[in-house]
Amino acid sequence: VPDLSFAFAQSLSGLTAAMFLFLIAAGLSLIFGVLRVLNFAHGTFYMLGAYSAYQIVQWLGTGPITFWIAALGAATAVALLGGIVERFLFQRLYGKEELYQLLFTYALVLILSDVAKIIWGTQQKSVSRPAGLTGAVSVFGATIPDYNLFIILLGPAIALVFWYVLQRTRVGRFIRAAALDRETLGALGVNVKALYTGVFMLASFLGGLGGALISPMRAIVPGMDTEVIVEAFVVVVIGGLGSFWGTFLGALIYGQVLSFGILFFPRFSIFSIFALMAAVLIIRPWGLLGRPLK
Amino acid sequence: MVRSLILLLAALLALPLSAEAQKPIKVGVPLPLSGPPALFGEPASKGAQMYVDEINAKGGVLGRRIELLIRDSKADANEAVRVSRELILKENVDFLMGTLTSAEGPAVSVVAKENKIVFIAPIPKTDQLTAADKLHPYVFRVAANTTMEGRSAAEIVAKWPVTKIATIAFDYAYGQDVTRSFVEHIKRLKPGVEIVDQQWPKLGEQDYNPFINAQMAKKPEAVVSSIWGGFFVTFSKQAKALGYFDAIKYNFIGLGEAGSPETTKSMGVDYPVGIWGNSYDAFYWEDNPGPHKDYTARLSKYLKDEYPSSWAIQGYIGMAFLVEAIKKAGSTDSDKVSKALLGLTIDTPIGKQTLREKDHQANRGQLYGKTVKDPKYNFPIMKPITYVDPTKFMD
Repeated sequence: VPDLSFAFAQSLSGLTAAMFLFLIAAGLSLIFGVLRVLNFAHGTFYMLGAYSAYQIVQWLGTGPITFWIAALGAATAVALLGGIVERFLFQRLYGKEELYQLLFTYALVLILSDVAKIIWGTQQKSVSRPAGLTGAVSVFGATIPDYNLFIILLGPAIALVFWYVLQRTRVGRFIRAAALDRETLGALGVNVKALYTGVFMLASFLGGLGGALISPMRAIVPGMDTEVIVEAFVVVVIGGLGSFWGTFLGALIYGQVLSFGILFFPRFSIFSIFALMAAVLIIRPWGLLGRPLK
Repeated sequence: MVRSLILLLAALLALPLSAEAQKPIKVGVPLPLSGPPALFGEPASKGAQMYVDEINAKGGVLGRRIELLIRDSKADANEAVRVSRELILKENVDFLMGTLTSAEGPAVSVVAKENKIVFIAPIPKTDQLTAADKLHPYVFRVAANTTMEGRSAAEIVAKWPVTKIATIAFDYAYGQDVTRSFVEHIKRLKPGVEIVDQQWPKLGEQDYNPFINAQMAKKPEAVVSSIWGGFFVTFSKQAKALGYFDAIKYNFIGLGEAGSPETTKSMGVDYPVGIWGNSYDAFYWEDNPGPHKDYTARLSKYLKDEYPSSWAIQGYIGMAFLVEAIKKAGSTDSDKVSKALLGLTIDTPIGKQTLREKDHQANRGQLYGKTVKDPKYNFPIMKPITYVDPTKFMD
């Protein structure tokens, strides 16, 4: 029987993993919900966020706020790239067959990851934890790194801001309307094209931010894009594609199943997650909080 | 008139012969050049290329140049097999020298056997590659194997004042084999040892927090890890944040080249200084056999890198064995070269290496040491650094 402090530590590590997944999966879910495109390249934006953060840290050197500038700078850069990609490439795909969309986003994965390899090479890169968050606190006998604590708090904060924007602001109403009926929204005089670009940039920003924020906890290597996209897909499938809180819930479940799974099935923790996903697909194919597709 | 005609005829007849002599010896090199494993595959291919350039500059071997045909194996067994077949069938390569993972090596070994072509594996470590039931006349390995690596670690850890030991390794051939070899050997060396915990994250795991927490809860005094390459960077960053290394007082040995200059360099100040690691090579190895210093200087120039890769040497030694065997055999016929390789001893930058007749395995030890900060570099190094010669504990 695991003691309480250990169980607590385990649940917090699951929570940290969940918040990262949420940041990434939220963008994926948003793009699908509004633009109706499954963006395989979303993981690549996450990877570019990590590499960009590394690059900015290299340029600025170590300083008390270097990391934060790097994280925001990287997310902004990725958002701009997302904007360009949407404007010039994605816009040609709306309404096309899903197969073309998948093939296109997959091509984007291959091209962008080769570009990353040309710029940053194949050597692993690493970013230090930001000054001020290098320590750890002891809670109920469990050691919690300050940085993990920060991530655990940041996740829900971003979720709330998002929810507020989507539910309580004019732009949010447009976004929700665009998800439901693009033509009518356009007929009402809203610039849907710009709205789509904005949504895509916002989603890319989240992906890039996820990559930048995870860089102090992981090595930055080629291939990190395809790893994360699989996890993000599992999260949105469990939670419900296009459902905002579903994504949040899916991420929470993923993190906890992974954390506690290794206690009960030490060599099959990843199996537990895929088993859960399969179960959800069978019982509620539209995900826990999603709506059935029409 | 007749004389000049005969001369002309003779010249014409001689032409194909001399052209034959000029034809390069072709060596196919399947190595991962994309994705995370390119980190090792790329420098290994460069090491092989440097050796070949040096030999060609001296006139080649048997009067023929050597040509490397380097192909991306994508660290995938199927792809490695595909490019190897293509190299043999389309490019007519005389030999194969390559593969990186423990999945690729045995797969390409089968291709070598089918086509009766000598295949030298520079990096795959799984014991399976040269196990009695898989061995055939054409496969050779210049890498360390999992038995040698696991036992080397046991020899080191047995000297530590600890009895409660835990392990962490990826749940696949390499991780399982090296961990098993370690556990078996340390129990022989120090019967009082207790294995208190074993964690098996999946290959390529990105979130080690749950595994680290679970391991710390068992309160081991020392840990043996074979989390390799970039994964070690991720693992140790997360472990350090959780106070893992402090909890085990840095009684930690990172196999899978966790002490390589590439890894310590990429982590810099974040590296858990004080742990033990291993590496195939280290440019700062001062206590080295004579030729190493010169090799490092040449490699540094060749790669245009002040701190050259520790993986290049595997490609270099792989090619060195092949070329020396061709010389000894006086032929590029794979049957003759494979016989020449049996028991062959050659001089390498790390000293004498021998391919054992019994299992076609080189006595390739690795460099081990405790990592320390050194004012000369802005990243940790292993100091003192020791070459652990596995000869005495190879099966």
